[in-house]
This record gives sequence, C-alpha cells and structure tokens, in this order.
Amino acid sequence: MSEYSPTILQGQQTNDDEILAKTPLDAKALGGDSSVVIMELLQRFKVRDVMKRQVIGIPRKATMREAQRILRENRISGLPVSEDGRLYGIISVNDIINGLDRGWMEDTVDMHMASNLVVLEAGMPISFALRYFNNYTYGRFPVLDSNRKLVGIISQRDVMRALLYELSVEIRKLERKTADKVSAPPPQSETRFFRREWAVVHNDLTGAGRAANEIKGILREKKVDRSIARRIAVAAYELEINICIHSHGGVLVLVISDNAVTITAKDRGPGIPDIEWACRDGTSTANDWIRSLGFGAGMGLSNSKRVSDFFEIESEVGKFTKVTCAFNLKKLEDPAAGGAK
Amino acid sequence: MTAREIAEKTGGKIEVDVEGASAENVYVGDLLSDVMGHAGDLCVLVTIQNHLNTLAVCTLVGCEVVVLCHNRPVPPDMAEGAKREGVAIITTPMSQYEVALALSSLPPSPRK
Amino acid sequence: MTIADVVKILDGKLMAGDGTSPRVVGAVVANDLMSDVLLTDADDVLLLTSLASDQAIRTAHIVGAVGVVIHNAKPLSETMINVANDLGIPLVSSPLSKYDACVKMHDAFMAEERG
Repeated sequence: MSEYSPTILQGQQTNDDEILAKTPLDAKALGGDSSVVIMELLQRFKVRDVMKRQVIGIPRKATMREAQRILRENRISGLPVSEDGRLYGIISVNDIINGLDRGWMEDTVDMHMASNLVVLEAGMPISFALRYFNNYTYGRFPVLDSNRKLVGIISQRDVMRALLYELSVEIRKLERKTADKVSAPPPQSETRFFRREWAVVHNDLTGAGRAANEIKGILREKKVDRSIARRIAVAAYELEINICIHSHGGVLVLVISDNAVTITAKDRGPGIPDIEWACRDGTSTANDWIRSLGFGAGMGLSNSKRVSDFFEIESEVGKFTKVTCAFNLKKLEDPAAGGAK
Repeated sequence: MTAREIAEKTGGKIEVDVEGASAENVYVGDLLSDVMGHAGDLCVLVTIQNHLNTLAVCTLVGCEVVVLCHNRPVPPDMAEGAKREGVAIITTPMSQYEVALALSSLPPSPRK
Repeated sequence: MTIADVVKILDGKLMAGDGTSPRVVGAVVANDLMSDVLLTDADDVLLLTSLASDQAIRTAHIVGAVGVVIHNAKPLSETMINVANDLGIPLVSSPLSKYDACVKMHDAFMAEERG
C-alpha cells in the first residue's frame, strides 16, 4: 500500500495559541446578546480573515489508516478529502473510531467520508459562521471560494481566537485614547460593577434632575465619599438638564466600579456643530423659557467638565452627542485632593 | 451711592463707566422676569446674568448700575449696549450674598 | 442656626420638609441660576432663590443643602412641595426679597457670634 503525503494548499500557517482553552466564551453567547463592538466585528470580519488557509487534505483513494495517521500527526480532528482544490468530503475522528471498531481501516476514505457537506464561503461575514456552528453539530466547516474551490477550513476555535484578538486590540485602543486625555486615568482593574440607566425626555423639565437625585441616593447607599458623590451628582444633573433642554431625548448611565464612577449622557441629536464653543463658559443656545427655569446660563458643559477627573465629549451633527464624565474613587488617599476647586 | 463707591465696596472693577450713574436701593436676582417684577427705580442690580437681555431689563426698571458676580465677563455686545443706554457695569469676584452684605447700607428695593 | 431659626429670621413659613432638622446652616448661597449654585463648594448651604420650581429643590439635594428659601412670597406649586418632601429638603417661603434676606441672615450670624 502506498503512503500518501498530505496535500498542502496555499496560505500561511496561523499561530495556534492556547487562549481558547482558557476562555469560557462560546459561540452562542457571542451570537446572541452581544455588545455593539462585537456585533460590529461579526459583520466586519469575513470567513477568509479568520479561517486556516493551510489546509491539509487527503485524496479519495487513501486509506482510513492513512487518514488516521495524518489526523494524529497534525493534531486535527477533521480532514478534507480533496484533489486539486476540489472538495469531495471530510473524514473526522469519529469516522476513524467507527472504522477501528468495524474493521474498515484498510478501506479507502471515499467509502466512509461524509460527503453531504455544509460549507461556508470565504466572503461571508463571520456572523454566518457562528450561526452555522450553532445550527449544526460540526466542529469545523470547509471554506470554498466563489469558484467552489477549497481555500480553507474554519473551526469555532479560529473564530474565537480572531474575535478575542480583535477585541483586545479595540480595548487597547480605548485605553490609549483614555490615557491621552487624562493625566490620571481611572484605574482599569474593576472587579464589581453597578450599572443603571435612566431615560431623559426632551422638554420634561418637571422630571429633569430626578435621575441625578436618584444617583446621589445610590452613591450615598454605596458609601461613596461625600465630596466625590457631590461632584458626580453635579455632573449628572447638568448632563441630564442638557439632554432635556437641548436634545431630542436620550439616556443617562451610571456605572460604579471599585475604583471609579462613570456618568455617560447620550442623546439622539441634533448634535453640536462646534464643541469647543459649546464647552466654553457662558456660551449658550438656550432660549428665554429655559432661562426662566434657572438654566441656560451656558455653564452646563463647563460645570460638568470642572467637577470631573476625566471628561470627553463626542458629537455628530444630526446624529448624537455623547458626554462621558469619570471620577476616581481613590482620591481621598491624597489629603491634598478633596472636593473640586 | 455712586458706581465708583459700589465698585469700591464690592472689590470690583468698573467695566463700563457712565457719568453720574448711581443707586439708591438694591435688588439681587438672576431671573430677568423676577427682576422686572420686583427691582426698584434707581436700584443696583446684583446678578450673574452677563447678557444683553439684562440691559433691556435695566432700562425698563430704571437701573443705572449692574454688578456682575463671580467675575462673569462682559460680552462686547453687552458693553456697547450699556454705554448706549447709560448703565454702568461692575464685575466682582464676590458672590451675590457677599455683594449684598457689602452694600447693606443701602435699603432693599421697595416692595411692589 | 437651624432651619427653624431661618423661618423666624426671614419672617417665613415652612412649606415642606422637616422644620425641626438639627442641621446647622454653614453658608448662604443667593442665586437663581442653578448651574451657578452647582458651582459652589460650600457645605451645609442655605439656598436663597427666586426660582420657584422643582429644579431649585433638586439642585439643593445635589449640593446637600440644609434648606431652600423662596423669595417675594412666590406661589409654590404642589409638585415642588412634593419633591421637597420626597427628597427631605426643608422648603421655606419668605415675603422678603433676596437682598433683604441676605442682609437679615448676615445680621443674625453676627448676633449669633456675639452670643
């Protein structure tokens, strides 16, 4: 019996690290209730970006025993049966176990391979791949190009590794962004989180401020230092009033971790054409009606910036404005740093 | 009390000087509708409203001196309007409460 | 000086909150613009304002004020009184103007100091 050496298709070897073995993520969790960042990654990445390009294949007339050897030596669990890029089937570890059990090991692989295959196309977004992994029990899918030629193979592991890598890149980007703008960024080593969200309605000045009052109550319950709690509440209040009088409505979000508190105000527009102008003390687009309610002196953004340890504002005209204020909770260790000045 | 005396008592700076501007009573207020309703003739208006609208109210109630608290800056259009309407403007680092105490030798605007 | 003293000094009437609160007034803020009130760093503030709206009460709560005084005997809405009761902020209505109240408060502080 002749020995077949495995067929190698084009492409580079992907480094196979062990991140996944230690990660409790699974495809279902990612495909379902995922954050915007993950959803975006799932659409942006295509199967071809993630798949293994170096495909080890075996011809149809190789024996089951040869397939077993290739699987073992390459520590893989599935082997495409292919010739000249054309895919005929897949031999998996399960087929080998059956073959050993029933004495088929000298049979050719085309007799026992799975030939009714589910395949992915290289150009599909990886959200498709995740859906396939959910819907079928296969651990891997062959990937074909538009000419139905075998170009790769993709496993759940490949998808997870790529996502984890991209997420860590995104996180590093965010961290760098934060570091650029803050002299003393809030520490990132949070372990416990408290999160709450309030809807803020446009022009509802009787309700405006309610969220800030509740936030102050929550901070008191959580035993946040009084002067820090006050600064947080001031920022929350100004941002809440801003959403109320200047936007089409939005949300105020409170996040408390061990080291920091973050207040985020995000609205649905109309956006700020000139952020620098808007942040300047005393500038305002408020009308007399708003002034009659004790606001609109043009101090809202500058006030919330003044009390915050970290302040960031993003806006897109016609779309949204997002203001983030963060507060360091560990400040009290420095006796010189108390309330805001 | 002349604008100059008011500036001295409040540790302030005369930003817009008007010959002969003076005050006989005091009103403290930041809501212009409230000022309109309660400030007296020849009052000194103590406020943080550094806005052209403040001058409109001054001319309506007969106020010749405005004290802007917390060092609020005088915008150019407000300064021009003040010269035109004959309203002196003083800026001070004091709060409204502190200015009130500094001027306490003057009576409050008569109640309406 | 407690809120009960403030009611007497300013010839006022307690409209909401606990009139027997033992908290002592540490500073006076006389202001109608709530953004400006939020700027203060003082503790135990008594807020003197002509702003007869919920926002005056909510702002007072944010800065941890001892109480709120509304001037010129302005009529107070039911919702404002409810918010004050909910947030536990003593609310006083006074017939005096803000200027008058500032001077009277100061005189009372002086008298307190003399004992």
